[in-house]
Amino acid sequence: MALVLAVIGPGFITANVDNDAGGIAVYSVAGAQFGYSLLWVMIPITVALVIIQEMSSRMGAVTGKGLSDLIREEFGFRATFLLMAALFATNFFNIISEFAGVASSFELFGISKYIVVPVAAFIVWGIVVHGTYNSIEKVFLSASAFYVAYIVSGVLAHPDWRAAALSTVTRPESTGFRNYGYLSTVIALAGTTIAPWMQFYLQASIVEKGVTARQYNASRLDVIIGCLFAAIVAWFIVVACAATLHSVGKYDIETARDAALALRPLAGEYAYLLFAAGLFNASLFAACILPISTAYAVCEGLGLESGLDKRFHEAPAFYWLYTILIVCGAGLLLIPRFPLIRVMFLSQVANGVLLPFVLIFVLLLVNDRELMGKYINSKWYNVVAWTTVGVMIGLTVAMVIAQTRSDDKPKPSAAREDARRVSRVAPPGRFHVAAADMLC
Amino acid sequence: MSIVALSELLGASVRDATGTVRGRVREVAVTPEDHPTRIAFLIVRTAEGERILPPGQVKSCGPVVRADTDARAWDRYTASDGVLLLKRDLLDQQIIDVHGRKVVRVMDVEIDSTPLNSHLLLNVLSVDVGARGAVRRLAKGLVPAFTLRALLEKIPPRVIPWHFVDLLETDPARRVKLKIVYEGLSKLHPADIADIVEDLAPAEREAVFETIDEEVAAEALEELDPKVQVSIVESLDSDRAADIVEEMDPDAAADLLGDLTEARSDEILKEMQPEERQEVTQLLEFGEHTAAGRMTTEFLAVPETSVVDDAIDALKVFEGSREALATIYLTDGQRLTGAVPLVKIAVSSPAVQLSELSEPYIACAPDAPDDEVAALFDKYNLITLAVVDEHGRIAGIITADDVITMLRHN
Repeated sequence: MALVLAVIGPGFITANVDNDAGGIAVYSVAGAQFGYSLLWVMIPITVALVIIQEMSSRMGAVTGKGLSDLIREEFGFRATFLLMAALFATNFFNIISEFAGVASSFELFGISKYIVVPVAAFIVWGIVVHGTYNSIEKVFLSASAFYVAYIVSGVLAHPDWRAAALSTVTRPESTGFRNYGYLSTVIALAGTTIAPWMQFYLQASIVEKGVTARQYNASRLDVIIGCLFAAIVAWFIVVACAATLHSVGKYDIETARDAALALRPLAGEYAYLLFAAGLFNASLFAACILPISTAYAVCEGLGLESGLDKRFHEAPAFYWLYTILIVCGAGLLLIPRFPLIRVMFLSQVANGVLLPFVLIFVLLLVNDRELMGKYINSKWYNVVAWTTVGVMIGLTVAMVIAQTRSDDKPKPSAAREDARRVSRVAPPGRFHVAAADMLC
Repeated sequence: MSIVALSELLGASVRDATGTVRGRVREVAVTPEDHPTRIAFLIVRTAEGERILPPGQVKSCGPVVRADTDARAWDRYTASDGVLLLKRDLLDQQIIDVHGRKVVRVMDVEIDSTPLNSHLLLNVLSVDVGARGAVRRLAKGLVPAFTLRALLEKIPPRVIPWHFVDLLETDPARRVKLKIVYEGLSKLHPADIADIVEDLAPAEREAVFETIDEEVAAEALEELDPKVQVSIVESLDSDRAADIVEEMDPDAAADLLGDLTEARSDEILKEMQPEERQEVTQLLEFGEHTAAGRMTTEFLAVPETSVVDDAIDALKVFEGSREALATIYLTDGQRLTGAVPLVKIAVSSPAVQLSELSEPYIACAPDAPDDEVAALFDKYNLITLAVVDEHGRIAGIITADDVITMLRHN
């Protein structure tokens, strides 16, 4: 345990932030709709996550430079500019959805978003502006610990442990894949696992922590432990929803908020509270990390002054980007009748479009011998990595296409059940809240 | 004379004496061994392979480069270590802006083109780090050339003259061939050097600390965060590390060595001069958070019978830090007996006995903890504090700058 505590850091934080409001929604839906039968997905997505995260953290440790720096140095200004513009836009949408997650978690406690969102924005701004790397890492690591809430609520749900364990390790039945809903949920699970910002954030934090190639083994362990913990949390969310909602035939949840509300009568008040608190923690956590990591990545890639140790007039672009992301990201949510569903859908599409480019850049850079020396991927690692990246890209693109299609045209009644997560329009009164947790 | 941007030149079509397009410019090369700023040749990618085109064969350059020789006469290009390739080594890379005292990324390179006997003389003039270079590169090929030029004129330039540029090169052999010595950087204040170094990647930090003068390196190292100090010293070979550590203040050196692994710190100590080694080893034995761990053993103590003139002579040969000179300590040969502020010496006549100028001194024990040291500084408004052992002998002094660092870290 002491060893674990000594090595956990950036890798652990990144993997956990990945279980944000959108991720929790997908896991809940997967559990409620398909019970334990989708648990097998957890193992392959954990492997994929470890492989991709490991490359980013290795690159940070060996080169001592951020991903956007390396892309700039190796692929030139124009490619970097386009990529950074896309990253900014994508992360802006992601930030809106994280603030929406914060808002919806508090609405579970009956507190208005008009109070919660500004307070959350202020906390996000304060933590980062007044912290140093070490103090922020501690805050973030403590926030990661709160994910235990989901494990506890999973236990409180009294699942059938044997069935859950078995379906985690058995090969899925091929008939399942013929079901559109089953397939699209598999795709959604994979799609929420890896987001473009993670590669930038992880590599930058490894650099900022001052990890060198010599200490890299500890960082690799950090990545692996982080991904395992994140996967266990995800597993318990699926299990909690499977044991309660699915077993009583309550399949029709569409958001993490729905899951929390549905858990209340079935698993008890504590499970409900833990679920809601977990959602708040996850969303705020991601909302803290995204704006600052975006501002750093963009400024470094474009060669603009950046850093919290600089004053406003020394690094204006950096502070403007950071401020715009937080103020606009939170502010837009407060506009009545803001088209949140559209925006969150766009955020998912943007992530999906950007991801292939980022992953391919990562693979090209990590295999550049001039840059990485003896730390390039081994031949076999490359086979696995390219395959993983290929599959991830395929699934993400598939998800985007599936969402675009289900978003564009009304489904026939048989398919509507499966596609409703993305196509249903909530009644006006619940519009924002439902949208906040939309699968995205 | 006129100015050509590197980004305009790259990809420009090259016509030979016959006026036929023979290829495109792929790189622009400087050989610092021959001349620090002169463009030695353009590398042209032709259908037959990569060819060298020296400016002495170029009539005009810009979006089109015209040579006055036949393409068949152009030499084949072979890669060499001593060649600075402007696109690969400079464009989009980080450099040190010595004048602005920071690390910046190169957006474009401005090349001065002067006609000479119907040929061109091309020299690197400055690097562009601002919006003008950015717009030029983004718009290149998308906006008609004259529109772009008009647009660029409106953007205020942000350029760094070439002689204020220090390149970052992590390969030591190449650094020698390219004559990169960090001359400009070495002249900066150590605190500025430290700020610049913190913005660099580990390999580049190592490059800087391998190259610059030991004394400058030592002072800059003291200004860095302890974690960064450790990672730099670990990356240097122990010989070079010892040279730098010797030049550091003994207390800073002891703190640094204390943070290293024992094996590494022993290696460095072994390489050091006996005298410096002894001082540092003594300090290493004390806890880092005690007065003895904070103190420096380089201070000025003279016999109490000395006169002002003797003190001034001692000042002249003193090699320790300037902060330590704020107070001159008096001893009876063994025990500490008094302290004279530097100001009093400056305003007294040469023959006055130092004991007449002496003030009651404030001292603490070697094992006094940090907070006690800070409290003494606060209470007595000290600039230096003597650390006195159980026999009343002065073992070292703590200076106010050490206390400020200590308070900021705690």
